[in-house]
Amino acid sequence: MIHMRNICKQYDTGTVALDHVNVDIKKGEFVFIVGASGAGKSTFIKMLFREELPTSGKLMVNGHDVVHMEHREVPYLRRELGVIFQDYRLLPDKTVFENVAFAMQVIEAPRRLMQRSVNSVLDVVGLRDKYKCFPSQLSGGEQQRVAIARAIVNDPAIVIADEPTGNLDPDTSWDIMDIFKRINKAGTTIVMATHDRAIVDTMKKRVIAIENGQIVRDQLRGGYGYEA
Amino acid sequence: MKLRNGEYYIQEVARSLKRNNWMSFASIGTVAVSLFVLGVFLTLVLNMNRLASTLESEVQISVYLEDKVMPSQREEIKQDIEKMQGIESVKYVSREEAKERLSERLGDQKYLLEALGDKNPLPNAFEITVSHPDMVETAAKVIEKMDGVESAKYGQDVVQHLFDITRLIRLFGLALMVLLAGATLFIISNTIRLTVFARRKEIAIMKYVGATDWFIRWPFMLEGVVLGFVGGVIAAVSLRSFYAAMAAKIYSTLAFFPLMPQYPFMNYITVVIVLSGMIIGALGSAISLKRFLKA
Repeated sequence: MIHMRNICKQYDTGTVALDHVNVDIKKGEFVFIVGASGAGKSTFIKMLFREELPTSGKLMVNGHDVVHMEHREVPYLRRELGVIFQDYRLLPDKTVFENVAFAMQVIEAPRRLMQRSVNSVLDVVGLRDKYKCFPSQLSGGEQQRVAIARAIVNDPAIVIADEPTGNLDPDTSWDIMDIFKRINKAGTTIVMATHDRAIVDTMKKRVIAIENGQIVRDQLRGGYGYEA
Repeated sequence: MKLRNGEYYIQEVARSLKRNNWMSFASIGTVAVSLFVLGVFLTLVLNMNRLASTLESEVQISVYLEDKVMPSQREEIKQDIEKMQGIESVKYVSREEAKERLSERLGDQKYLLEALGDKNPLPNAFEITVSHPDMVETAAKVIEKMDGVESAKYGQDVVQHLFDITRLIRLFGLALMVLLAGATLFIISNTIRLTVFARRKEIAIMKYVGATDWFIRWPFMLEGVVLGFVGGVIAAVSLRSFYAAMAAKIYSTLAFFPLMPQYPFMNYITVVIVLSGMIIGALGSAISLKRFLKA
């Protein structure tokens, strides 16, 4: 599903964000990417949906050669991925329903599918009854659930989450993790960068720790680790 | 553009025009003014061209014959000239006819000619018209060398001047048009940039969920085209009435002036102006979007 070989990333400023990273992630896996701020987590995540390109190395995501892909093919890669951010990134002037439907509209999905698909993912995240609300009327956890619904409405092969619980209190974070668990159980691969030690330790999933741009640990059913 | 997205695009354009109403208004105004000036120059240049070519096509060669030339030789010369390439007509003007014409042209000063008495200082001549204005000069040179021909003259200077002036106006007009088109492009792209900027988050999200560049681009392009179209229509309507008024004025004072007739000429100009507006609008949006669609 995800195949990284000798991936290096050096920014124009000279900072080396990733240094010869090798990772293989199989279909249906649930993987945490952990590490301190600036360790290269974000770069790792951004590369998966081609927000950043590696300086060198090979990267395959769901069968796409991300490095040699042409610009106009990028949208089709992203349609197979669901991306979730720490700051939700919802459109404030659209309702919950419209925010989720937007993802389908944008990829020119048939309209008759829209109603059904949106309702069904709103069920998954438990926000069916709030479909008319605007993001400003929702709590942070609810907004993140809308973002998750938007990420999964097109039935992606991989869900990529960059610190999705970073702005949420522990209880709400657990609600979000429950949703991720359910999505993962249905067969979707999940890659999640996080700082949240409690979540990583409790979930007992594969953990990839990045430090100074290198993978220092890749452990099945791992914990967050010793360093902060 | 797929049809089922049509509704979405139109909604987006209407929403955006409403949100930026002042800026939209301003850019429509600029587009209208620029295209109007553009149109004025276009009509001016085209009219100058027409004037020049009308005058040019009327340029004749006057071939003056030596006095000793007999009617039979005259006929030979005439035939020789007619055999040359590009000669349209050769008309004989006898010295008597020439004198009559001169006296007519002198009008009140006819007495000048009368002072000559029966003497006629004018030569017999041919008036020659050529099929293409370019040939005037060469034809005159060849004819001048013929036996029995004293000289061959033509009103080249006037035409040359007129052409120089036209070329100048054309050059100046072209430069101004390019400048104005550039300015219009700049203003439209700035207006669209405001819209793009106001919606940069939306554009980013669209990209994350897999929208193609063209899907993102369409509403903005359409907005630019609408701005350009409205501005173009305003410019064209103003230009039409301006030209009508100018034409009326010119006809009442200079009846012979070979002005382009309003129809269908102004219809072409209208099409050109409105199309230019739309193209500039589309280009302007494309420019302002480029940065946001990269990566």
